[in-house]
Amino acid sequence: MPCGLAVPEILARAGLAGAMDELTREFLIESQEGLDRMEHCLTELESHPEDTELLADIFRSVHTIKGTTGFLGYKRLEKLAHAGENLLGLLREGKLEATASIITGLLQLLDGLRSILKTIEAQDSEGDVDDAALIVRLEELQAADRARPGQSAQAPPAAPAESAGQNPLAAPAPENATPPAAPAAAIDSDTEKRPAATGSASESTLRVDVALLNRMMNLVGELVLTRNQVLQATAGDPGMTQLSRRLDMVTADLRESVMKARMQPVSNLFSKAPRLVRDLAQQLGRRVRLEVEGQDTELDKSLLEAIKDPLTHAVRNALDHGIEPPEARQAVGKNPEGTLKLRASHEGSHVIIEISDDGAGISVERVRRKAVERGLITAPRAARLGDRDLLQLIFVPGFSTAAAVTSISGRGVGMDVVRTNVEKIGGKVEIDSRIGSGTTLRLRIPLTLAIVPALLVRSLGQCFALPQGALTELVHVPPEQATSAIEWLEDAPLYRLRGRLLPLVFLDRLLMPGTENPRDAVRDSFIAVLDADGRRFGLVVDGLADPEEIVVKPLSAVLKDIGLYSGATVLGNGDLALILDPGAIAIRAGITLTDASDTGREEEEIAEASVVRAQEYLLVEAGGRSAAVPLDDVLRIEQIPLQRIEYFSQRPVLNFAGQLLPVEDAGGVLASAAAQQSADARVVVVVCRDGGRYVGIAVEHVLDVAAGGNLFHAGTGERASGVTLLKKRVTGVVDLRSVAALAAIEPTTDDRSDMVEAER
Amino acid sequence: MSAARDAANHKENAPAQVEVCSVRVGQTLFGVPIAHILEIVGGARPQPVPLAPGFVGGLVHYRGDVLTTVSLRRLLGLTAKNGAQDILVLESAGGCFGLLVDSVGEVLTVSPADHEPTPATLDERRRALFAGAYKLKDTLLVMLDPERLDPRWLSAAQAGS
Repeated sequence: MPCGLAVPEILARAGLAGAMDELTREFLIESQEGLDRMEHCLTELESHPEDTELLADIFRSVHTIKGTTGFLGYKRLEKLAHAGENLLGLLREGKLEATASIITGLLQLLDGLRSILKTIEAQDSEGDVDDAALIVRLEELQAADRARPGQSAQAPPAAPAESAGQNPLAAPAPENATPPAAPAAAIDSDTEKRPAATGSASESTLRVDVALLNRMMNLVGELVLTRNQVLQATAGDPGMTQLSRRLDMVTADLRESVMKARMQPVSNLFSKAPRLVRDLAQQLGRRVRLEVEGQDTELDKSLLEAIKDPLTHAVRNALDHGIEPPEARQAVGKNPEGTLKLRASHEGSHVIIEISDDGAGISVERVRRKAVERGLITAPRAARLGDRDLLQLIFVPGFSTAAAVTSISGRGVGMDVVRTNVEKIGGKVEIDSRIGSGTTLRLRIPLTLAIVPALLVRSLGQCFALPQGALTELVHVPPEQATSAIEWLEDAPLYRLRGRLLPLVFLDRLLMPGTENPRDAVRDSFIAVLDADGRRFGLVVDGLADPEEIVVKPLSAVLKDIGLYSGATVLGNGDLALILDPGAIAIRAGITLTDASDTGREEEEIAEASVVRAQEYLLVEAGGRSAAVPLDDVLRIEQIPLQRIEYFSQRPVLNFAGQLLPVEDAGGVLASAAAQQSADARVVVVVCRDGGRYVGIAVEHVLDVAAGGNLFHAGTGERASGVTLLKKRVTGVVDLRSVAALAAIEPTTDDRSDMVEAER
Repeated sequence: MSAARDAANHKENAPAQVEVCSVRVGQTLFGVPIAHILEIVGGARPQPVPLAPGFVGGLVHYRGDVLTTVSLRRLLGLTAKNGAQDILVLESAGGCFGLLVDSVGEVLTVSPADHEPTPATLDERRRALFAGAYKLKDTLLVMLDPERLDPRWLSAAQAGS
């Protein structure tokens, strides 16, 4: 690898003073994109002033510009962006309303930022036009209603001003806090900038348009399919064997080469870190040593692009919130110089990028306090959460533990940007922190964007691809068990997976609503247990094929609108398969999150575990009233012929799996079923357990499973027992201890057999 | 004399002869301007897409991409055909899509003089798809408007109706 430090030297010597360094150029392109997005969002905002998503998006655009400008040394841009960000911060927190005059102000900010960027692009400097008027205007707008609507600030100057003439490249490496735009001390592959004299590295490489690589990838994909067809067609022809085998090999080789051409070492990404760290350290008064590991790890070009932002944010956070100032470090007996470690490595079909610091770590208590303060989570819930779950809260939009808002970070956008961007490319973010010894952020990135591991399933006689990411396990249901393994609550199929009820979705019925009722079908079926963003369910399919790495192809808008498919793929045999979107299927099938009232998804995920255990109820109907049975008490739900109910000393009992079960019939369900006098009358019995005792409750219908909330006595704050808030309606809870049928049984110690003995 | 000049004008202004690709669906002969045709793919077996709008004939693999096809049979309310079908790959403002037809015929050159507007007696939904008809010697060639066959347009039209 060529030594990166040589580049600025050579540039300086060659006198290429006007050349813009890579960092600045990238910054310009990104900022333009950010501003384009901002413009779009602003116009949207006019019609939906309440939309917090839009505001967050706008805020992020400006924040990113400000962040990058800070270390590139564009003071004018930074000042303007900072003023805008303050205003946007208030809007985002809901302290201000996005009135027309504010939107006008923001659009002026947009124009102002654009014109500075234009000047930088043309002259490599910001120009020396004064933005004071605009900044004052933005500050005025922060004072909410006091802003005079009639007064519109002078349009931001178009800034055709003369360049200040500063020559950033001629300047010696500055030691002050904000260095002018010097070229990156980074290795870059920009051959055009590099004089031919740099040697063979530039001669043996060339730049290729990514679009061309994408096209090559497509063509190779097609070639692979054609090859497969040729191989099939010539299978029986001995004369062709040699040729087709060669074709096979060459194609495989070609495919691998093209894939490889798209891969770039992460050093391209890490090489930007030294300067970033140095500049940030200077601004923040930290002493930081950067360690980089695993630079040769390769990643698809587009993915590398996608994690650039998250990485910058993560580094910024590590320096600002993680590593303490030297004095503070010394005080606790640490090396005054902190260490920031960037590490890349392979792990299966993922690349792991770790950003770890040996700083103060994240105080779980502070996270808890902050989260409650910001209203991200309620105090009682925060108290219940474990340390790991609490740490996840820092990824929630609007969260920030920084005591002061600095120009580097501390507005709480950082971490949610990291997570959003990484998840967008199918990656995951994990965080680990120990008080006093540091924080590690782990980005788990798939190797390539276009190729995802998938399981092929069969339904309706065709193949569908199911992304492995959402798949947790597979269950085979042989035909002889089909009727018993899958249980039905009215029309809702359920499967009992290790004691917990798993709602099922029949893929064929979902995709073709008219198909036969699977309830009566006796056939081989498979349940793919999926977890899509906290929605857990089983997808029932007819068959499984091998897992395959599939190449994702986009669908046309018309088919995307169906909402169940995320793309399509071409299989090895040339057939097409639609890629199913587990999240969309869950939503379509009505699989709900356990606590839909929560705002943040994170919170739901965190809360889910506790809610599921404590507060899920089976909603039943008996004698015209609905009641709730705590799901934890429910053992089975049985639909049995009425004849199976027997009477023992005038109490209804049921011979259930070899044991006698008293049946509670407060609702008169048994009597009304008997009154029908039909031979095949059936009743539904919910089998419950209360400690060591069992009881059946006869009901008319099982309605639903739902999460219930607590209800409090007005004024006392005391929990009302015996009722719950279920689907926003007050519902009575069946208290097993007070069930009449149970009272007839002598409370046995704990053993089931004792109970049965006694009954006998 | 003025009539002669009119005729001359007409000749100048009117587009020259049009080349159309003839396709057959059911009993009817349709024409698609060849300028819109990227490629003709024979013997394709489209993969059905459950829950797709009725006019979608399925997906086919085309040059490394997945192409959505529109079934002309279904659009015309005829029963869909099973098995291999011919596909015209068409280009419209919204991108590429495939048009499933029973069979592709030859390329014909038609003259604007033989063009007639779509008869008003046709039901409205069909009329929107057609761009008039050419009187051939022994039959009619119904012109299709590729823009109107674009799945996006069709789904918008469907949503509107």
